[in-house]
Amino acid sequence: MSELTKLNLQGVIQGLRRGEFSCRELIQAYFERIQSLDFTINAYLYTDEEGALRKAEMVDRTLAEWRRSPQGELPPLLGVPLAVKDVLCVKGMPCTCGSKILEGFVPPYNATSVQKLLEAGAIVLGKTNTDEFAMGSSTENSAYGVTRNPWNLNRVPGGSSGGSAAAVAARLAPVALGTDTGGSVRQPASFCGVSGIKPTYGRVSRYGLVAYGSSLDVVGVLGRNMEDLALVFELMAGVDPRDATTVDLPVPHIHLDRSTDLSAIRVGVPKEYFIPGMQPQVEAAIRQAILHLQELGATVLEVSLPHTEYALPVYYLIAPAEASANLARYDGIRYGPRLGGEAMWEIFFRTRGEKFGPEVKRRIMLGTYALSAGYYDAYYGKAQKVRTLIKQDFERAFQIVDVIAAPIAPTTAFAIGEHTDDPLAMYLEDVFTLPANLAGVPGVAFPVGFDQQGLPIGMQLMGNYFQEELLFRIAHAYQLTTDWHLRTPQ
Amino acid sequence: MSPEYEAVIGLETHIQLNTQTKIFCPCKADSWNDPPNTNICPVCTGMPGVLPVLNKAAVEKAMLLAAAMNAEIQPISYFDRKNYFYPDLPKGYQISQYNMPIARGGYLVFPMPDGSERKVTIQKLHLEEDAGKTKHDFGRRLIDFNRCGVPLVEMVTGPDLHSADEAAQYIIRLRQLLRWIGISEADMEKGHLRCDANVSIRPKGAEVLNPKTEIKNLNSIVAIREAIQTEIQRQIREVEAGNPIEAWTLEWDEDRSILRKMRSKETEADYRYFREPDLLSLQIDEAWKAAVLSTLPELPLQRRARFVKEYGLPIYDADILTSERSLSEYYEATLQAYQGDPKRVSNWIINDVLRIINELGVSAAELKITPPYLAQIIRMVDESVINISTGKALLDKVQNCGKEPAAIVSEEGLAKMNDADMLETLIQQLLVENPVQVESYRKGKSGLLGWFVGQVMKQTQGKADAQLTRSILEKYLNQK
Repeated sequence: MSELTKLNLQGVIQGLRRGEFSCRELIQAYFERIQSLDFTINAYLYTDEEGALRKAEMVDRTLAEWRRSPQGELPPLLGVPLAVKDVLCVKGMPCTCGSKILEGFVPPYNATSVQKLLEAGAIVLGKTNTDEFAMGSSTENSAYGVTRNPWNLNRVPGGSSGGSAAAVAARLAPVALGTDTGGSVRQPASFCGVSGIKPTYGRVSRYGLVAYGSSLDVVGVLGRNMEDLALVFELMAGVDPRDATTVDLPVPHIHLDRSTDLSAIRVGVPKEYFIPGMQPQVEAAIRQAILHLQELGATVLEVSLPHTEYALPVYYLIAPAEASANLARYDGIRYGPRLGGEAMWEIFFRTRGEKFGPEVKRRIMLGTYALSAGYYDAYYGKAQKVRTLIKQDFERAFQIVDVIAAPIAPTTAFAIGEHTDDPLAMYLEDVFTLPANLAGVPGVAFPVGFDQQGLPIGMQLMGNYFQEELLFRIAHAYQLTTDWHLRTPQ
Repeated sequence: MSPEYEAVIGLETHIQLNTQTKIFCPCKADSWNDPPNTNICPVCTGMPGVLPVLNKAAVEKAMLLAAAMNAEIQPISYFDRKNYFYPDLPKGYQISQYNMPIARGGYLVFPMPDGSERKVTIQKLHLEEDAGKTKHDFGRRLIDFNRCGVPLVEMVTGPDLHSADEAAQYIIRLRQLLRWIGISEADMEKGHLRCDANVSIRPKGAEVLNPKTEIKNLNSIVAIREAIQTEIQRQIREVEAGNPIEAWTLEWDEDRSILRKMRSKETEADYRYFREPDLLSLQIDEAWKAAVLSTLPELPLQRRARFVKEYGLPIYDADILTSERSLSEYYEATLQAYQGDPKRVSNWIINDVLRIINELGVSAAELKITPPYLAQIIRMVDESVINISTGKALLDKVQNCGKEPAAIVSEEGLAKMNDADMLETLIQQLLVENPVQVESYRKGKSGLLGWFVGQVMKQTQGKADAQLTRSILEKYLNQK
């Protein structure tokens, strides 16, 4: 492996500024690695080597000039390679959302999150694989083939941001954007042994994120450690006039120092997150990590989030309901492939019938049903009420503790094909990650151990609204005193 | 109508708000005369990943309408998604308001031509976005997305109207109101004000609501009147023949003046409404409401009543003067400058100024004959500085050059010739030159007096004081 692809973001940024290597060399190193490994892993759906190299050369010129006369600030991410989940629009690059129905669609606009990082100097390497429209927990629902887990190629990388997680784990990108509607950043981070942040709902603009569950979708980051995540997060966060649901709060500049003292921190451990049927090594690793936080000075308290068990049914009513409307625009009229002849309904039926995958159709039907006259009150209406209760669970817990530590998934990465015939088993993979989305609270994921098969185990810390900085600090203290996050797959 | 039946009519209107930009994106809202698909962007064409952002101006215009319709503006309301598939609906749903709209209640009291009044209640008043337009051409289905996202208010009346005439009057008064408060151009031909009618009949005096039909595509006042009348007659014929009225949707063919059946309405469409998660709740606090409503002018029917009461104008005059807000303001400004008989100002405006307004196709506010100028002209006529025909000619002159009327009068020497000596000389000369006519007059053809007046006017280019001319003529002609 080229030494360059081993560098974390600080290493990349410092090295470029000092002239230890050129941006062109850095980008080339990544594309060489992508070429040699990605036909196996399938993390990327699209790469843009030519465009990235062109930008790298511009960065090198800027850096050369800056080194001659170092005046003013350089863009903070100047020359940093970035992978982007294929549900986020990057101007001029295809955006398929892992679906055949968007084959050939090239957005003429950037997602705000992408735009902000481009303005900060990042270079997009390509678009990463995802479950179709981010619906899934394994990337097996991608219409363009499964992504393989770099730790074990017969295992899934998790999902739906599986391509981004695998890319970071396999050093095919130092950092990647993902999205988290029900755990889609945290769960693949856990399965692939990388770090991830799911920000507070409303913290990062959703403009240009192809909607799945609009009231749940959040743009997040996957990377190697908390410092890298924090740097990217603070640059893309903030209110956006194009997204009415973003919140106009100042985004703190997150400075993570070497302090590992957590004595002012109260960590809550929700009893409802330790369920029968959990893989014992997962539970053990989580308990051990919580103990570690305690050793760093944190006070650990048991808390209760009593409505946790309803998160799964509530999520699978609300997310599909919103999806059933969000995906109505894919009708073959304005973009994407069009099947059928001239007859309007034939175009709708054939295009949607043949170009959507089975999981997407399942959720559209679920959502359509939940919103139908006569069923609305019993399903969608009731789900919204229970969602409020789940939110109140968190509000109550955060009166007692600063953060909540919990497992991300009941198991480590499962085998490809293991759950494909059993949607319900697949849905259960999300049981620990859904509540944070329903409540809108932020969460970070980071590796805390490995199981006997050498598969990574991740833990999440969930925080109060807009408390991302606190989550970064605590997880950073953990990473300063452990080395799980430094391990790399063979 | 057959005397034993009464029609029950409710009107559903879609009002296009005249905002600069669309309701959820910065595209230009009005696309009249623009080529298809030129005022569009990723947001209004429903590209993947884009989000709506509410246009505050659309909300404020809806607030004005709600207040003008006596509806209660809600401190909190929501947008909802109305789901249905159609090629010109790019998102597959329309962003509308369902169970928590911007306003509730409301009514309009409006006069009928015979002087009686009608009251219509408002059952629904909400904001929504328009869809695109589908056109069939060259055997293909063509879609113009320009109209997507144009802000609309949907306003639905209760079943309170009882004749085609009442329905037409309501729309006439609504159209007047919309223009008056400046929220819509309300041009029915351009689709700024669209109307569907729900029509049923029942025995006179009954309270029951019978099955109704819905008439779509009523794009003019004439269409509203004729289509509803036609449908009432059809329903009476059906009922008298013992046939049930079925809940059809009908379409008015304006060119052929016939109703066509579009579809049977057997099942209610299920639009699967739910809250629009991409928009926050719409919160209107007292301060915002007060600021917006402070711009609401006196409404047309109120002003009409005040003109009658305050100025003693006939209803006829008041109605014309309040047909448009700018005209009514023009009237009052002129009256203010004139400080005289309100009816006299009304006459000048209705008889002369309106002709110029109509000929030029401008509003009263755009006239170069400003209210002080008009007052000056009327005053000059009153004070016999100029005669009435000069005054009327002066209107056009002022409108053409924009100069002060008094200045034109002095520059062009238009002041009345009321110098009796000069006129006497002129008239004596005239009588000498026309002995035959003088002779005839003196023999009893007194009608010739007009001819003499005309001759004097001709020679003075109309400036001679008619009264004075007449008395001098009579003096000399009657001398034997």
